[in-house]
Amino acid sequence: MDAFTTLQAVVNGVLTGALYALVGMGMALIFGVMRIVNFAHGTFMMLGMYATYVLFLHGHLIPYYSFPLVALGMYGLGYLIYMGLLRPIHGQSDFMQILLTLGVGLAITDAIQLVFGADYHQINFPLLEKNLHLGSRITVNAPWLVSFGIALVAGAGLYFFVMHTMMGRAARAIAQNRYAAPLMGIHLHRVQAFWFGLGVAAAAVAGSLLLPVFYLYPGVGDQFTLKAFVMVVLGGMESIVGAATAGLLLGVVENLTSLYWGNEWALAVDFVIFLLVLSLRPSGIFGRQKA
Amino acid sequence: MRRWQLALAAAGFMLSLLLPLVVRSDYHLQVLFRIYLFAALGLAWNLVGGYAGQLSLGHAAYFGAGAYGLALFTRAGVPLWAALVMLMGLAMLFALLIGGVSFRLRGPYFALATIAFAEVLHAAAKNLPSVTGGDVGVPVPALFHTNVNRSFYLCAVLLTAAATAATVVISRSRFGYYLMAIREDQDTALSVGVNAARTKLYALLVSAAFTALAGALYGSLFLFIVPDQVLSIDISNEIAIVAMLGGAGTLAGPMVGAVVLESASEIFKTIFQEAHLLIYGLLLIIVVLFLPEGIMGGIEAILRRRKRQES
Repeated sequence: MDAFTTLQAVVNGVLTGALYALVGMGMALIFGVMRIVNFAHGTFMMLGMYATYVLFLHGHLIPYYSFPLVALGMYGLGYLIYMGLLRPIHGQSDFMQILLTLGVGLAITDAIQLVFGADYHQINFPLLEKNLHLGSRITVNAPWLVSFGIALVAGAGLYFFVMHTMMGRAARAIAQNRYAAPLMGIHLHRVQAFWFGLGVAAAAVAGSLLLPVFYLYPGVGDQFTLKAFVMVVLGGMESIVGAATAGLLLGVVENLTSLYWGNEWALAVDFVIFLLVLSLRPSGIFGRQKA
Repeated sequence: MRRWQLALAAAGFMLSLLLPLVVRSDYHLQVLFRIYLFAALGLAWNLVGGYAGQLSLGHAAYFGAGAYGLALFTRAGVPLWAALVMLMGLAMLFALLIGGVSFRLRGPYFALATIAFAEVLHAAAKNLPSVTGGDVGVPVPALFHTNVNRSFYLCAVLLTAAATAATVVISRSRFGYYLMAIREDQDTALSVGVNAARTKLYALLVSAAFTALAGALYGSLFLFIVPDQVLSIDISNEIAIVAMLGGAGTLAGPMVGAVVLESASEIFKTIFQEAHLLIYGLLLIIVVLFLPEGIMGGIEAILRRRKRQES
């Protein structure tokens, strides 16, 4: 294996990583900022993929046009799930949130399997066969590049939203002190429901953008739940930029792992990194060290 | 635990041991085996998840260590009894690794670390065909050759009895009170000199040993195991759900949870076939929202309220 093969894997890794980053940013909002332990994150991503698939099949919309619709729908679903299910157990231990979201994930995944079956699906449109050549040896698949661009814009937009709007300030205030924030006139549940919905929407958009390049099946999101947790912890919990950087890192690490050891080890390497970081530097690679 | 409760539990296990005299169908014995197996698993999980309040979603690691341990150690020529001891040791080694990493941290890290560790083992079992047989699987030696279903059933009952006894002893000991103190308020526990990380680790070690024995029993019944069967996240979830449904931190909870969940899923599997995970999910949501302390916790709350009204 020469340098170009490695470079190609790094390029692919960055392209994959941008979509991971979007999943991770959504989780950073939900888990890092608002401390809602969301075990259904990957399920929401999968649901976004199926929504995109249905819009492609019956509405003839390719993912690059339909993702805003998917985002809107999934935002609504996230909002409802927060208000209907998570709000009533507000203030109870993580334990309860984990079990509740685990239940939501299981129920949705199985419902999807009942409706669409367990078969693998794939969509096809002309752009999928286009390749771009950088230099003589590096090729980039066009849909990956488009997805990368959209993910970049969406991620930047999310960052801007968190840093420069009232809703974003409210969320950061809750992250700093969840008891004082409501005393300052922040409507805790409305803010949390908003950001939960947005985090779910971010995962779903990542799903939309992954649909052209991934096989679709009911369990496709399962591993993303854990990956998203890994990204948030590596990124230093509250930081959505940290989570995004960790997403890029995981993308590159996974592609290099696939290249040198084989695809089947990619996920295991993610988790080994996670366990190492937890034991050596629990505040994350990009987080500030706390006592 | 009062004397009459002890007598009731003992009588219950005696009757369970006599049950095969009445129940003779293999199918029913296998369902009963599953119920007792998951009762034992729920009791083991309960030491960590219920009494110490640390949510483990990776008990498949110890379960798989038991099943694969039995297969691989005996294949290497280790006698059966030594293999049983070694597989418990293997699971405890895994517990030591997970607990050592994550018990120092607060929050949901323990739950995340347990899943991550179990998934690493899952991937390793799948991708190291020279050691574990990979996805093809590996044969497990039979523990019994005659009256197979009856013997396995009796073993599961004995394991449940042992796990119950261990829980009774632990929950009444100083160690047990440490665990509950950590669950209720770790800062206060630390301030009175409880070594929280070490106490939690001991509980996890005991839990892992019982889980591994259950895993070995399960593997030996099937005679052949693959990674997706004994190391999958579904096993971890099912163990946690059994204990939570029945009532985490209660003695009878896991048994009640196992009876309800396993018989319900047996019925669902025949009626709804593919929808049983959907039912699991909904059951979880209902338990969290309406029965946060599980079935036994809910019953206890009602009894307490009635007692208060009487007095």
